[in-house]
Amino acid sequence: MSNLLLQGVSKLSKIANSVAVITNTVGTLMVLCLVLVVDYDVIARGAFNKPFGGAVEVVQFTMVLIVFLQLPDVVRVNRLTRSDGFLAIMQPRFPNVTMWVRRFIDSVSAILMALIAIAIWPEFVEMLETKDYFGIPGVFTAPWWPIKLVIFLSASLCSLIFIFKVILAATNIQLIRMDEMKDKAISAGEKL
Amino acid sequence: KAVVIDGYPAKSMWVDEFSNFFIPEVNERLAKTNNYKIDWQESYGGTIVKPKGVLDGIKLGLGDIGIVTTIFHNSKLPSQSLAGVTPFISADARVVAKAIDEITKEFPTMEKEFARQKQVYLATGVVLDTYQIFSKERIESIKDLEGSKVAGAGIILRYLDGIENAAGVRGGLTDFYNMVSTGLVDHAMLWPEAAETFKIAEVAPFMLKADFGAVNTKTVTTNSRFWKKLPSEVKQVIQEVAIEYRDHVANIAMNRAKKSLDAYIAAGGTVVTMSQEARKEWADSMPDLAAEWAEGLDKKGEPGTEMLRAYMAKLKAAGFTPTRDWTAGLK
Amino acid sequence: MSPIEIGVISVIAIIVLVYLGLYIPVALGVVSFVSIWLMRDDFELSMNLLKIAVGDSVMEYTFATVPLFTFMGLIVSKAGMGADIYEVMNSGFKKVKGGIGMATVGANAVFAAVTGSSIASASVFAKVSVPEMLKYDYNPRFAVGVVAGSSVLGMIIPPSAMLIIYSFVAEQSVGEMFLAGVVPGILLAAAYIAAIWLMGKFIPKYVGGKPATEYEWMSFKEIFSKTAPLVSLITIVLGGIYTGWLTPVEAGAAGAAVGLIIALIRGKMSLKSFWEALIETGHITASILFLITAASIYSRMLGLAGLPNELALILEQNQMSFMMIMVIYVCLMLFLGTLLDTSSIILIVVPLFLPLIEPMGLSLVWFGIITVIGAEIGLLTPPLGISCFVIKASLDDDRISLKDVFMGSLPFAFVMLVVLILLINYPVLSIGILH
Ligand code: NA
Ligand code: NA
Repeated sequence: MSNLLLQGVSKLSKIANSVAVITNTVGTLMVLCLVLVVDYDVIARGAFNKPFGGAVEVVQFTMVLIVFLQLPDVVRVNRLTRSDGFLAIMQPRFPNVTMWVRRFIDSVSAILMALIAIAIWPEFVEMLETKDYFGIPGVFTAPWWPIKLVIFLSASLCSLIFIFKVILAATNIQLIRMDEMKDKAISAGEKL
Repeated sequence: KAVVIDGYPAKSMWVDEFSNFFIPEVNERLAKTNNYKIDWQESYGGTIVKPKGVLDGIKLGLGDIGIVTTIFHNSKLPSQSLAGVTPFISADARVVAKAIDEITKEFPTMEKEFARQKQVYLATGVVLDTYQIFSKERIESIKDLEGSKVAGAGIILRYLDGIENAAGVRGGLTDFYNMVSTGLVDHAMLWPEAAETFKIAEVAPFMLKADFGAVNTKTVTTNSRFWKKLPSEVKQVIQEVAIEYRDHVANIAMNRAKKSLDAYIAAGGTVVTMSQEARKEWADSMPDLAAEWAEGLDKKGEPGTEMLRAYMAKLKAAGFTPTRDWTAGLK
Repeated sequence: MSPIEIGVISVIAIIVLVYLGLYIPVALGVVSFVSIWLMRDDFELSMNLLKIAVGDSVMEYTFATVPLFTFMGLIVSKAGMGADIYEVMNSGFKKVKGGIGMATVGANAVFAAVTGSSIASASVFAKVSVPEMLKYDYNPRFAVGVVAGSSVLGMIIPPSAMLIIYSFVAEQSVGEMFLAGVVPGILLAAAYIAAIWLMGKFIPKYVGGKPATEYEWMSFKEIFSKTAPLVSLITIVLGGIYTGWLTPVEAGAAGAAVGLIIALIRGKMSLKSFWEALIETGHITASILFLITAASIYSRMLGLAGLPNELALILEQNQMSFMMIMVIYVCLMLFLGTLLDTSSIILIVVPLFLPLIEPMGLSLVWFGIITVIGAEIGLLTPPLGISCFVIKASLDDDRISLKDVFMGSLPFAFVMLVVLILLINYPVLSIGILH
């Protein structure tokens, strides 16, 4: 019975993960978009005396999209900034303790992400109702609500992925550890 | 206990005056009756909020009293652009500050906008006299601006809308020196005090005295929940001091502007006064910003048109003749 | 609880949680959340703090420099430009004792001007330069030490993600921070070269190596074709920022576009590696900016607690000397550097010390350079030294253990410390370049 439940959770976890991969792809395209917008403004201004009035707002907008669309994937592949020297030392000697520490860590993370989602939701509703925008009227304006929505969805998804990590920690702990070893060089790279 | 917040550093004029004028003044008056005492915590310069975050910070209770820079919030505080959409009237910060303050109190619109952000309006701050145009070459009219690039920020970029082929380039104050010196832009719109601070005279030795006019950019507000809990004696003292702060800051702005202009000239700058006809020509070239503004408020059921008329009347009563009658386009 | 107590307890809580292995942004966020809640007995205020900090911090225009320069750096290294510059340098330094080491430092300094991270430098040069040194019988420890030490240049010589992060926390202009990093970066490179020369002179055994046999000078045309792409990129990026033609954000975008064009012309960019660079850029941006967001929650919490005001008061009362503060500051950074990565150190210590530094009338640009270099010493120190990890991982050579990498890096960490002290004493070295 509990095994069946675990399988169900595992399936849900896979779904959450693939959503993260999709939003990650969209976020990746935003990086390209950012390069294009800024370069367009530079060229239009320098060569044609026609700067793009909304460059600042569009850049701000894409930054939010890049960060929050990619964050769930960063969580999924364990690349969120951390220092796991202690866990690495503990792992071989006290595998059980380490597993619980990991569960604790992921639970705390899930709670924080959930709190962020809960905090942002009313903001989104309010922005949608009031149609608030940022920028200069008559020059360029962009609405607030998509930004709040993206943050809300991103935080919710991150929270879910963390929750699945907590539940599934016992079953595929070995796998996670190997992944992390493999990712070590890259994840170190994350921190610049 | 009261937490005062602004995202700008403590050395900014209006923050400095809040510390050294507003707060001591309130303390002194409260000490007279000795019934209440406020324990102030001053958190400026990004310790709690960034400049753009003051409005939300007060709303969310991260600060109790704060200085909101209204130009960042066109969408939440649309009525605050009143002085910005009516250029070429008065470059006297004191008059504009008083007029805006009175409009706020006579019409419910501005206070309503703040109430929606869960805060109570205390005073208007006008911290600069007027924007001018600083250039490499001597210029006299908008003919000289045609086909050129002008650095600026915010609503004043729209003043260029009617000039043929003139492009507004957005930039931060700290960038203007470099933008002009490299020729990225030909002109920059800023006010004399900023011109002095950033040594604009070195790269743009000609100032066209266009006198767009003083603009309200700051508002002192307080969190509604905090305000409700204050005893009425304290409320009264704070409101009194707020009005004095309004005039005090506007006065300082005028004095500084004059000194800065002298410093600009001393640093090798030349001031060219724009002729009345040239100013009129520019004012007439602009889109009807004021009517747009009033219409926007009218549509929301606010007395935009009335506010605009009342504001113009106040400035006229103070002895100023508008270069362009911004009420002409009203329906 | 007094603000000071809250400040101290929260810092300790953060350090403990981080050492335990909690994600650093989560640690910062959770501790701040709980602190406010306890301090004001107001759960809603804690929620409001989250509300205002999330999104607000990411919306900063200048943060677009993070993805743009990261992307440029990745493109540049994927196009093999780092290896090119190394070959050119090597042909010049080959005859000197420790010459390949010096060439590595030189190439790193140049490469640093187009990449925003030390990691890119560490992985590129671990692959090109270490095997070359081993071929000429250099001491393996020395070889990896040189690469680790000089990789740090990537984050001091602009563009640099760390200077961007600092400029956000301290509200300084990114352009000025970049310019201020130029001289200290060059100084550090020079100090490394001098140190290698001294080692070659006094402890030649430690350096090892035999003189090169072939004296093959590169033809001028070859040198040109290998350096021109990098030099043109540097000119666009740093020149654009210095003259004011481009904001740092625009310089980043221009650099990314030009780098991409160069890579395409040289035919070294496949669609796959292009896509990888994009994804990598996004991941790095997301994790850095999420970290910054969390750090801004933390620094706002300290502000709400009134810690900056208290610190300023203490400073006033105790007349703490400049030297004292600096000693405490550097020691704290070295301590945190044992386990934390550079950006976390910056984000934790700067909000604590800014209120002490600002009233003393010291330049915050200078303070930023001090902070970034001080925090980067941690890249080279065990147990967690990112640069060393990356080198070990990209070398994939069993003859060189992680311990060797750390031991080899220590002399260079020491040189960094010396340069740091120099920079603290002579602020003009950093800020002299500004008008
Ligand atoms: Na760099
Ligand atoms: Na370390």
